[in-house]
Amino acid sequence: MRMRLKAAAAVVLCLHCLGVYLFTRGFLLTRTELSAFSLPSDLLQAQAPCCSESDLPSTTDQDLPGWTPPTVDRVLILIVDALRFDFVAPSSLFETKQKWMDRLSSLQHLASTHPSSSRIFKAIADPPTTSLQRLKALTTGGLPTFIDVGNSFAAPAIHEDNWIHQLLHTGRRVVMMGDDTWTQLFPHHFNHSYPYPSFNVKDLHTVDNGVAQHLMPWLHRQDWDVLIGHFLGVDHAGHIFGVDSQPMVQKLEQINAILQNVTDIMNSQKHLENTMLIVMGDHAQTLNGDHGGGTSEEVETCLFAWMPRSLPSSISSIFHPSTCGLGLNGKNICTSTMQQLDFAVSISALLGIPFPFGSIGRVNPELYALSPGSWDRQWLPASFYEDPSSDLKTWKNNYAHVLCINSWQVKRYIDCYSATSVMGFPSDDLHYITKLYNEAQSRWSDSKNSSCKPENGTIDEFSDFLLSFATLARSAWTEFDLKLMGVGLGIFIISIIFHLFVFERVHSLSNVYDNKTQKSSNHLQIYVAFLLVAVRAVSFLSNSYILAEGRVANFLLATTAIGSIRSSLVYGKIKKHDLVFLILIILIRFGIEKGMSKQAATNSFLNYDSGSDFDLNWLPSLFEGHDFVTLLSEISPMIILFLLSFLSCKYITCTVHSRYIKWVVTVGTMLSYLFIATFWLSERSFAPKMVYVIGLSLFVLNFVLRYLGILEKGETVQRLRSLALVMVSAWSPTILILLGKQGPFAVLVCIFAGWSIISSKNKGLLDDCKMDPISVMQWSLLAICLFYQTGHWCTFDGLRYGAAFIGFDEFKVVRQAILLFVDTFGISHILPIFSLPFLVTIPNSSSSKGRDKTVIFLNLTQVYLLYGLITAITTTFTVLCVAIQRRHLMVWGLFAPKYVFDAIGLLLTDVLICVSALYYC
Amino acid sequence: MRKAEIGATTALAVHSLCAAGLATGYWLSHSLYSSSLITDPAPTLRILTVCEAPVVILLFSWLRRDHDRCSFIKAVARGLIGLPIGALINAFGAIVLGAPVGLKFWPATIYWSMLLSLFTFVPAACVFGASKLDWQQILSYSKPSNIVDYMLSVPAHGAIIGAWLGAWPMPLDWERPWQEWPICVTYGAIAGHLIGMLFSPVLIFLHRRHIRTKTE
Repeated sequence: MRMRLKAAAAVVLCLHCLGVYLFTRGFLLTRTELSAFSLPSDLLQAQAPCCSESDLPSTTDQDLPGWTPPTVDRVLILIVDALRFDFVAPSSLFETKQKWMDRLSSLQHLASTHPSSSRIFKAIADPPTTSLQRLKALTTGGLPTFIDVGNSFAAPAIHEDNWIHQLLHTGRRVVMMGDDTWTQLFPHHFNHSYPYPSFNVKDLHTVDNGVAQHLMPWLHRQDWDVLIGHFLGVDHAGHIFGVDSQPMVQKLEQINAILQNVTDIMNSQKHLENTMLIVMGDHAQTLNGDHGGGTSEEVETCLFAWMPRSLPSSISSIFHPSTCGLGLNGKNICTSTMQQLDFAVSISALLGIPFPFGSIGRVNPELYALSPGSWDRQWLPASFYEDPSSDLKTWKNNYAHVLCINSWQVKRYIDCYSATSVMGFPSDDLHYITKLYNEAQSRWSDSKNSSCKPENGTIDEFSDFLLSFATLARSAWTEFDLKLMGVGLGIFIISIIFHLFVFERVHSLSNVYDNKTQKSSNHLQIYVAFLLVAVRAVSFLSNSYILAEGRVANFLLATTAIGSIRSSLVYGKIKKHDLVFLILIILIRFGIEKGMSKQAATNSFLNYDSGSDFDLNWLPSLFEGHDFVTLLSEISPMIILFLLSFLSCKYITCTVHSRYIKWVVTVGTMLSYLFIATFWLSERSFAPKMVYVIGLSLFVLNFVLRYLGILEKGETVQRLRSLALVMVSAWSPTILILLGKQGPFAVLVCIFAGWSIISSKNKGLLDDCKMDPISVMQWSLLAICLFYQTGHWCTFDGLRYGAAFIGFDEFKVVRQAILLFVDTFGISHILPIFSLPFLVTIPNSSSSKGRDKTVIFLNLTQVYLLYGLITAITTTFTVLCVAIQRRHLMVWGLFAPKYVFDAIGLLLTDVLICVSALYYC
Repeated sequence: MRKAEIGATTALAVHSLCAAGLATGYWLSHSLYSSSLITDPAPTLRILTVCEAPVVILLFSWLRRDHDRCSFIKAVARGLIGLPIGALINAFGAIVLGAPVGLKFWPATIYWSMLLSLFTFVPAACVFGASKLDWQQILSYSKPSNIVDYMLSVPAHGAIIGAWLGAWPMPLDWERPWQEWPICVTYGAIAGHLIGMLFSPVLIFLHRRHIRTKTE
């Protein structure tokens, strides 16, 4: 009998692993990385139509290291991590002026006083908006896919062609300072590099001060062609304090001062005259300082470009700027929009290097027009300009030429990709793209052969081709492998059928053991439980319900609680624990709403008006200025912590019978709570480490003792209860400290809610030790509620990164990942699953005395199987809904993260059930 | 006794009078104050409550269980006391299930819970008073011996289930005005209540036939 749960759990775990693996392979996008590199000689060898025959002088390969002549001498790229568009754009463009706006006044000043040689772009990044992916996209010009997110913790070197590589091979000198992700991506590419560690989020200044310190001396030197400075302070200030905070304003003012210095130097130094300054963000951030997703707040970053040398003609004469607003000095500032995808190829065109092989962007006309070199007419054969009517016409010719090469390069990539990758593009779309390309090319060659000049029409046709392909690529790299997804889903369903079969077998077996058959009522409860599961599962079809999942779970939990009150009324009086449970549900609900309002600030999908729903804001204002409130908010976690330690101490002494174990566990728990209190009072970092050590050693000790047979003493029920208690005490301090100051309250709510569920089960109908499906369902709903109540939610910006650094200042991948994992899943998976035995052991131990050991284990097996089944069914529905909604607008913002969280949660549940089966049975 | 005289037709008549009370309230709010549930929920709910309360209390006081010991006036008083108590219970239940607690929702919540109290709690209070056994019986359905039990229990459960179902569209992002608390919940409750009122005469009819066949 004991083997049954272990075997079943192991089989289910294997099935789920296989299912998750296959579905993930099919669903999370994969893009084949091509290892080909562009070479300067490609253009001639391939006889590209743009520069065949007489167009290019024979001296090309000696003169030009690239495909187009360079139009600027140097480029100074200053990347401000997580630069929001409204940090740079004038505040008059936005509805209300916030305190973080207009802080980068030096850029605004340049934009308003030099409208012809500077420009502010709203740069639209592609999700995922994590720094690593963005840097990869910025340098290769491709579209890194979702699956790459996992690599962000350990940055791998870039294997695709990129403009840093091209610079190296054309003999340019690149200097890098700032974020050390660059040196991880490009280990051998920089002539000089000054990397600073990037992952210590608490450190706002090291990287920025380091960049500032090295930047100014380098600006006075001449031995560089491209200088990259990557500031991280704004990103870190956002992560720690949020955008609307004083540290953020200070940070922006510091950046502004650095930029002011840089522009002053560039204006004064002769060798920097033909240098383009680009100040840009790799991605933006939400008001909470989070990023990673695809919401407009996260993708709308900024790019500012400026040349000290002015242009022959104003670029504003060509383009219609998208939006204009008054700057700080009262002058008009106009901004345009560009795709971040275009950055790589644009910078390659500006510097005159071969375009990266895998780049699918288009040379941005406005950025290109900023460089004076693009207005020169010497760089194409003189015959081309028989009638140089105006500078504008020259520029258009030049740009058309660049676009032609650009289109040729993209077309080459398309052909190469279609030939080599496993999953090419849909043939219809490919035909259409090819047609566009051929039309554009024939028009180009016509215009060259005939006397009429390549006019706007050619530019438009090339642009049309490039933009259509970018659209196609965006959709194609969200192309799913439906076959693999289907197989994965099928395996999930098979595992559910297997699960149901095993559950039914155990259930009927327990009915055989149980002489008094109350089959019908038990069946009814199973149906009710599955109805609740079904309601929850179907709700995942809608994005709104996924966003409101916490509230939905709370609603269902409240429904079960009200149902249980109703049956209490029917069979007698309302008990105390029923009312306690209702009040706990209200408390949990407020916690969930607080979390949601936090999420709403970051998530534009979530229209959650926290002010109207939960306007207890008058409370603080009522007590404002009273030290009493601050004191209370400081002290209450401590008091609850004390209460918790008292409770656990009491229960351990009551329950655990072996004197030796009792002593060890009590001392361990007390010490842990003491360390937590020390940590909160003094922020000493040794305290959390001690808590982790105690927790881990207690966990290991439990298993050792369990297998030595020391914990075997006593009656079955007693034994099971003390095993569970010891296990939960081993884990709870660690989870508590990771959750921070909200931890004690959450754990207290968890304990009382668990107690209410246990005592409210079995309304006299069932035997005390019998499994109650509704209680198991409530347990699982409570677990979900606790996940949301503790401020988590199912997106990557919902991870509480701060928890990973409790007790540690420096970043190590494995260690911090484990801490983050325990924080995320601790209270919603680890604690509830390890404490499931309480459901069959605690109620009324008097009648359970002398119970058959087999019956108790049968019930325990049922509880675990049912819990696993509930999780499996909901996850399978998540998978199904993700598969159905794969074309949904929010698939990357919402459904994919939800899938990842649920899949991890399911596997963790399976693993924990296996561990519990080993430990308890 | 009188309770033996009540048949499906009486039940139907009582229910249709209740429904008429609701309809009058709706019409009044619509024509006199030109307010609808969607534009200003709180006043509309107030009018609905004011119109429905006398109808329900008077009708169900007339149907009171212990005719000998309890006068009509006493039953009405029971109903009047039951109204705020039931409202409190309903409001508490709604808050447990996630109704917003912000100050600006208070009027709507209060009137909504009054209305639901009229659907659920007040009729039973008028009929039973504080008799615990009767309350338990009506909740458990264990012995639906009485026709009035059906008349109380089916529409009340209908209203609760309707309100529960009515809450489901609230989180959806359709951005319709009726998704606000307590509009769709009120619609759900009224719809559930009406369906319950239609359903209870049918059950009564079936129940009667069942008894008749048994006795024969």
